[in-house]
Amino acid sequence: MSNAAIVTEEDAEARVDPITVELVRNGLIAASEEMKTVLMRTAYNMIIYEALDFTVGLFDARGQTLSISLGLPMFIRGMGDTVRAKVEHFGPENIQPGDVLLTNDAYITGSHLNHPTFSQPIFHEGRLVAFASCMAHWIDIGGVLSGVTTDIFSEGLQIPVVKYYKAGQLNQDLHDLIRMNVRMPERAMGDLQAQLASIRAGARQFEALMNRYGGDAVMASIDAILDQSEAAAREQLRQIPDGVYEAESFMDDDAIEIGKPVPLQVRVEVSGDTMTVDLSNVSPQVRGFYNTGAGEACAQVAFKCLAASQEYPINDGTYRPLKVINPKGTVLNARRPAPMRLWMTYPMTVIDTIFKALAPTLPDSVIAGHHADLMVANVNGKDPETEDIFLYLGGLIGGGWGAKSQEDGVNATICINDGDTHNGPVEQVENKYPLIIRKYALREDSGGAGEFRGGLGTVQECEALAPINFQTRIERVNNPPHGLFGGMPGMGNQVAVRRSNGEETVFPNGKLTDQLEAGEAYILRSGGGGGFGPPGKRNPASIRHDIVQGYVSAEAAKCDYGFTMEAED
Amino acid sequence: MKEVQVLDKTERKKRLAADIGGTFTDVAAFDERSGELRLGKVLSQPHDLVGGITNGIGATGVDISDTNLFFHGSTIAINTLLERKGARTALLTTAGFRDIYEIGRINRPDSFNLYFRKHLPLIERQFRLEVNERLYADGSVCRKLDMDEIAAIADRLEQMEIEAVAILFLHSYRNPEHEIKVRDYLKDRLPQVFITASHELSQEYREFERTSTVAANAYVGPKVNHYMGQLDSHLSQGDFPGSLLIVKSSGGLYSAPEARTHCIWMLESGPAAGVVGAKELCEVIGLKDAIAFDMGGTTAKAGVIKDGQPLTTSNVMVGGYREGLPIQMTMIDIHEVGTGGGSIAKVGPGGSVRVGPESAGADPGPACYALGGSKPTVTDANLILGRLAPDRFLGGNMRLDPEAARKALVENLCSPLGLELKEAAAGILKIAVNAMSHSVKGVTSERGLDPGAFDVLIAYGGAGPLHASAVARELGIRRVLIPAAPGHFAATGMLRTDLRHDFTRSIFKQLDDLPFKVMIGHYEEMEGEARQLIEDTGISVSSIVMQRGIDMRYVEQEHAATVELPDEVLKRFDIAEIRRLFDEKHLHLYGHASPEKPVEMVSLRSSVRGVLPKPNAERTERSGQTSLDQAFTGARDVCFDVSEGYVETPTYARDQLQAGNTISGPALVEEYASTTVVFPGDTLEVDELGNLLINTRKA
Repeated sequence: MSNAAIVTEEDAEARVDPITVELVRNGLIAASEEMKTVLMRTAYNMIIYEALDFTVGLFDARGQTLSISLGLPMFIRGMGDTVRAKVEHFGPENIQPGDVLLTNDAYITGSHLNHPTFSQPIFHEGRLVAFASCMAHWIDIGGVLSGVTTDIFSEGLQIPVVKYYKAGQLNQDLHDLIRMNVRMPERAMGDLQAQLASIRAGARQFEALMNRYGGDAVMASIDAILDQSEAAAREQLRQIPDGVYEAESFMDDDAIEIGKPVPLQVRVEVSGDTMTVDLSNVSPQVRGFYNTGAGEACAQVAFKCLAASQEYPINDGTYRPLKVINPKGTVLNARRPAPMRLWMTYPMTVIDTIFKALAPTLPDSVIAGHHADLMVANVNGKDPETEDIFLYLGGLIGGGWGAKSQEDGVNATICINDGDTHNGPVEQVENKYPLIIRKYALREDSGGAGEFRGGLGTVQECEALAPINFQTRIERVNNPPHGLFGGMPGMGNQVAVRRSNGEETVFPNGKLTDQLEAGEAYILRSGGGGGFGPPGKRNPASIRHDIVQGYVSAEAAKCDYGFTMEAED
Repeated sequence: MKEVQVLDKTERKKRLAADIGGTFTDVAAFDERSGELRLGKVLSQPHDLVGGITNGIGATGVDISDTNLFFHGSTIAINTLLERKGARTALLTTAGFRDIYEIGRINRPDSFNLYFRKHLPLIERQFRLEVNERLYADGSVCRKLDMDEIAAIADRLEQMEIEAVAILFLHSYRNPEHEIKVRDYLKDRLPQVFITASHELSQEYREFERTSTVAANAYVGPKVNHYMGQLDSHLSQGDFPGSLLIVKSSGGLYSAPEARTHCIWMLESGPAAGVVGAKELCEVIGLKDAIAFDMGGTTAKAGVIKDGQPLTTSNVMVGGYREGLPIQMTMIDIHEVGTGGGSIAKVGPGGSVRVGPESAGADPGPACYALGGSKPTVTDANLILGRLAPDRFLGGNMRLDPEAARKALVENLCSPLGLELKEAAAGILKIAVNAMSHSVKGVTSERGLDPGAFDVLIAYGGAGPLHASAVARELGIRRVLIPAAPGHFAATGMLRTDLRHDFTRSIFKQLDDLPFKVMIGHYEEMEGEARQLIEDTGISVSSIVMQRGIDMRYVEQEHAATVELPDEVLKRFDIAEIRRLFDEKHLHLYGHASPEKPVEMVSLRSSVRGVLPKPNAERTERSGQTSLDQAFTGARDVCFDVSEGYVETPTYARDQLQAGNTISGPALVEEYASTTVVFPGDTLEVDELGNLLINTRKA
């Protein structure tokens, strides 16, 4: 048992019929969906079961992704890398039945320390054949509570690649060590148990597939499934003319050197049925906590959106024709001990930039820039009646998405880092906290003008009924979402405060820590999407419609489109 | 749960049920004296729905003046909504919030699709008007209503030629005063306009969902009223002496006048009635847990019956999860689990076999319909394998073309992939059945239930009996039940529904400060309202069943779990017991509980059923003789397993089967609108109610 061998492709060359392949594909999807259901049902933290901040999936013995069920799109890559790192660390021959492998190394997962990832090896007839793996966001992993971190050590507990279970035996010392280093141990341990339940369910389902169809047939089906995804991606890539495509965007700053833009340059090369995304020319890693390891994930998300068939769910076959050049030491592949806490912010803009680069050759597939930020306000204060301290994750208001070659952008939707994430109902917020939301509305005129207009951002005005503290770490205030083909940029994100005298102060950047007295309000305004095509080509009926509905003011219509209602009448 | 006996004064006459579906209108007539059930199936008439009902009643041979109860499930509301053919509607809402209807919950389920779309509001932004009023979360007034402003708004509504108005003010679930004032004023001022306020439909927090609910009600209101008016006058012309009752999405009934104001509650009446029918069957034959599996030409749906009751949900997405409109109402929890007989099979990139989600629907339909479809479908595969007969489809009224099916499979699957015809056909079915089973498993495991632990799978709809045993085997369910007239199941289910009213009141309170007296007041108010509504129908009920529930959660959670609240616990003000019940429920649903964490109440729920006397199902005595000769109609070659090829399989006419008959598979049981497949090794038994009970052998 201890000398378990990896099943390689050569072993599994037995021919398998296409019907069985399809049944195995459905089985793998169902298995990862079951892992997701188990995790969501049993997790303790809202951020897992409401914001879906997790990934679960099945991987082969070498760490190739077979099927994943995503909470957030940006996790497309990190878990495969993590499984591979685990196999490499121990060597496959040292992985045994009953092991559970763990790490939260930010430079392996590509994200922050809040993402402990558990993997269970799966064996068939004594051979290591696969892994079931689960990453989920823990509400706390230690580290400083607020402010801008400047190294990984201030962000919490780092867990290298370790065995949490060894041949079925819990590593109690490790467990105790983790427990002592997190602020809310009950919840963290609850989420840990939910993750274990999830990988056990995945392993059980995978074993059931092996028992039902036979190990060789399943392994051969998996090869076919990966090959089919690869074929689908190559077929799509062949439709794209060969060429080199480049684009650049800027982040506002790294939260340390305020006002100093951070450049993100991407280069995409399409050649035959392959694509290379070169991220070598992005900014070196920065001092503030916006570093990330998600460079390759950015390329994969963009690739999935543009060039991979939507016919098949994600697996590593999809990415065989994609090469990503992502050298160490940049803001997208940071070296220890770079701070990583807000790892999710820059990648959203990187994805938009890849779309921008490919726009000349894929005008009908790409989308103009979006607001590219979660638009969060962290609020805390004391309940005036009970004197209890409360924490409120405010904001999350959605923003504008970019226009496309034939469609206006979508209004008020969560940024590309997230997927099925919901905002909080105003009626609930006001019941729980001493706050009153005065306005939650579309931000008129925020969509970039164009033949097709960018989607509208939103505005939310949150008034304190008792003194509160709040902090925002919002980006892309001064670098608004880009337009394409002559489309105008949308409005950038914005943070403002209304004081008790009724005066509103708009801040020059989005990184603010402040206090509000009762009657004062913070105001978040999310950016609008970029426009597509020159405004002059917009259909007058659409401009009229925008004015009638109030998406665009008469003044803006005149200024951007030279349009007046009277002239038309 | 509390049950109050009521004297049964119902005159035992005839009751009628009419279910209008997309293709067919089904009518079921039940004579309570003789126990006779008559069925009529006619084509629906989209432009004259009432005419379709008349034809359907005609087909049963029953005289409407001879009936005392008429139960009706209608697609008028759902079709108006889905086809976007509703009224010119305006929304009045709290200042600062006219866009909440368009912003929604900001989620993007279709994560990698840059061409994703959001829900499309039923009311354009220009018709969403703001009112300067505001309540605090506790219901106290922050900004008073100005009736002069409302008068000016009424003028604008008139100018805009608005036909329906929806009113939503923040926190109206706590204090509806502002909504009531504005509603009453507008009703008075604009008597021709349909006016509806959110608190009348839902007293639950979540402003977007409540807005969407009241907007949908306004949008369908004028059409539903017109339809109800037509139906009413038609029934009175026919000297109908009884009561017209409409089936709600909860599976309960409500009166015609209520249906005219609370129109959206009838949205999913047909599917709900099917599950109620399945539930009643369970009760009659003494089973507790069942999957109700309804497969037609274009969709397959599943509902869950647990401990003898259908699972319900209180937030429904109409039009699908991704782009649908949420509606806050009690509805039987029904999930789409597949695409039905019309699902198309094709070769995917790299040489895979894909089945669905594209469907040939009814037009052009499967290749074998010979109506212009050239793509192979699940129905074509059934024909190739001999499970359907070319000359017995819809009682022989529609000939199927095996050559067209063969051609579609050969050209689209066999040639490109080098598969044999029967291999490809069997493959399509395997994949379709496998996918449906995974979906059903998803539905149960999300609710913490193990599908294999269910007693029975009850299959109906035209295509249900064809695939039921295969689906059950995949789920690990050993018993399958095919009810009598599976193609009419929604209509016969309606005959067995009850009057039902569900109310909710949102109150946010920490468990330790539960205001018991206030709570009891709310429950009594809701129950009083429900009993009044039941009394208003003028129908005698045999008993009234009241259920009290409380929605609770751990303080940091968003979603709450409903705990049933026993009367004595409430009377004792027993906080500890409520706490225990909640932790227990949480443990059951989510696998863990946290007795140390603070808990809060978010809503009170009340469900009141006026139980109607049930028609006694017609039981035929077991004849003692078990000969199948009278039902035997011949034999044909059918393929069940590719490796064994085609085997000669006897066929039986369902209407000739007698109670006590048993059949060993392989066999086919054919009836007007469906065919039941009995696999080799399975056994089928006909029970006294005419149900087919199949015991599947272990896979």
